[in-house]
Amino acid sequence: MEASITSVVTGDRSVLERSPAARLPDRVLQWGLSGLAAAILVLIVYFFIRLIGQSHTVFSHYGLSFVFGNDWDVNRNIYHGAAMLVGTLITSAIALVIGVPIAVATAVFINELTPRRLRGPLSILVDLLAAVPSVVYGLWGVFVLAPKLLPAEKWFASTFSFIPWIGGGTPTLYNYFLAGLILAIMILPIVSAISREVIATVPSEHKEAALALGATRWEMIRMAVLPYARPGITGGAMLGLGRAIGETIAVVLVIGASPVIGNHLFAQGNTYAAVIASEFGEAQGVHISALFGAGLVLFVLTLIVNIIARWFVSRGAHGTRGTGATGMTIAPAAER
Amino acid sequence: MRQRRIAALTAAVVASLIVAACGSSSSSSSSSGSAGASNSSSSTSSSSSSSSGGSGTVNGAGSTLAAPIYQQWGSVLKGQGLTVNYNAVGSGAGQTQLEAATVDFAGSDPALKASDKAKMKGPVLQFPVAFGGITVSYNLSGVKSGLKLDGPTVGKIFSGQIKTWNDPAIKALNPGASLPSTSITVVHRSDSSGTTQGFTTWLSDTDPAWKSSVGEGKDVKWPTGTGGKGNSGVAAVVKQTSGAIGYVEQAYALENGFTYAAIKDSAGAYVLPTIPNTSAAANGIAVPADLGVSTINSSASGAYPIVSQTFLDAYKDPCKSGGANSGTAAALKKFLTYAFGAGQQTLGAGGNQLPYAPLPAALVSKDQAQLATMTCNGSPIS
Repeated sequence: MEASITSVVTGDRSVLERSPAARLPDRVLQWGLSGLAAAILVLIVYFFIRLIGQSHTVFSHYGLSFVFGNDWDVNRNIYHGAAMLVGTLITSAIALVIGVPIAVATAVFINELTPRRLRGPLSILVDLLAAVPSVVYGLWGVFVLAPKLLPAEKWFASTFSFIPWIGGGTPTLYNYFLAGLILAIMILPIVSAISREVIATVPSEHKEAALALGATRWEMIRMAVLPYARPGITGGAMLGLGRAIGETIAVVLVIGASPVIGNHLFAQGNTYAAVIASEFGEAQGVHISALFGAGLVLFVLTLIVNIIARWFVSRGAHGTRGTGATGMTIAPAAER
Repeated sequence: MRQRRIAALTAAVVASLIVAACGSSSSSSSSSGSAGASNSSSSTSSSSSSSSGGSGTVNGAGSTLAAPIYQQWGSVLKGQGLTVNYNAVGSGAGQTQLEAATVDFAGSDPALKASDKAKMKGPVLQFPVAFGGITVSYNLSGVKSGLKLDGPTVGKIFSGQIKTWNDPAIKALNPGASLPSTSITVVHRSDSSGTTQGFTTWLSDTDPAWKSSVGEGKDVKWPTGTGGKGNSGVAAVVKQTSGAIGYVEQAYALENGFTYAAIKDSAGAYVLPTIPNTSAAANGIAVPADLGVSTINSSASGAYPIVSQTFLDAYKDPCKSGGANSGTAAALKKFLTYAFGAGQQTLGAGGNQLPYAPLPAALVSKDQAQLATMTCNGSPIS
């Protein structure tokens, strides 16, 4: 035995030491993965520089009024995109306001109230929402939701006409609310999936302690589950917000493409992603630059959202016990 | 362990579905599509005799309006060994691709301007290919096709000054019709479009107030109304909304059985957007040397006023300017020979024809004469 090994491993190395060749995969792995990771960074930086370069014309022409001026008239070469900025923010906000509570409720229901046997199938069904192409959501909005929703919107607007901005106007077929509602459905699976994972990490002692102190099930969820999971849920909501801000084709179909800011909830508007998608094909000259500028603002907006999300998640991790969103902390096993 | 593997598999499947869903929706399509193979029987007799250019590939890009035409022609020519790839990226993008010589021809709805030609790598030939009417379609219960409208009235409707269907201005044009007091919902395109260009050009031509307030273009700032994406988007809103009015391509309106208005022409007669009336728009119009005809508000009698045209742009010498080899040049010539020959017969009002208006004979012969001047490195293309 000994002889055969020494005959293979030559030189004065110990028999326990492995040949340098055996360590090669490690180094290849390290350099390969570092290279791939660096490529992503390079790509993002390249995008950023390229967007700045392409949109230079429009920013030097219009300055900040490109972002905050309220008039988009391609025909007269006026590119003041406040309608898109406001539309992007409004539709995303509506999506969060409607989508997040439903997503969290779904997650709580699946984790705490559903019989164990049904959890898997239910989670898969919710996750399947993510597999529906966004254009299908958009077309469903155009052909099914929009005409059915319009009478309800009209009733709502006239009944609650005393609430500024929400009531009082005349709803159009396509509007902020419709786009926000469709976005809410689209962000539901991602927010729900993350919330589900986070809620699953809540230690059973916490829940059992709450129940032992006489809490009802709702009180247990409110006092033990949700506070523990909050940072993770917030992180999930921010990811959903990122999706809502960047969603393109579904919004294009149901936003109505208004060149100025709509003056109530049921008025039509526009978003950055939508305006790029619908106008890029035929754009020329300054118009192209303006659309690149829209892309740049969208990029920065998404960046800000991501930074805020990270900040929320990390703050939560320091503040409470679990890290929630990442699910790295392993909750101590409950004594059974 | 096994369960985890299944979960991972499910995740992978879901992820791949998401990736597929996020894939771009651009309608790049090679001509092999099933669209309208019905026509191939009628047109195989065309130019298959052309000897040397029997096979080859022609690449084009541009107008979405003309995409069904090129795709149908491509599927016919596929049977003759000629592959036509057409990428419907929009007229502007098509021109840019021809400038870069990454395609052999560009489909463009607007005629080339002098500034466009200057950017090209060499002299460019511009061929009118087909005409398409733009209907003013409406959804008004009890009112059939043929409501009479003129430019200034349509201009007032689309700028929001006329708000109900029983407005005196509409009544004055339609003395016999019983018009309801339904409020008008204006529907326009939300995306950049040659259809918008054609419609607003006509409005600017006939309504000075429109010209000064809104103007013409592929994207205009609509004073009122709802935006739908594409012809189908506009059509969906018109269908769903009582009292809606919108401009829809003829092909689309005819296929969907819409009710549309008869429009007042420059002689004062009211003309319906039928295919023959659309073709008539090119009768007796002035044809410039570069064939950059404009069929909006045509003075020909019996011509529908809102007619846009679509052009095919190619280099006069595809080998010298466009970097093509002699085989590609021959394939391009074969494609164009078909386009201004048997291809025109696939357009029209028949059941298995593409619902675009074919060129009148006079313009076809001008196209053919121009095609004969195409060369490859200075020598004629066989």
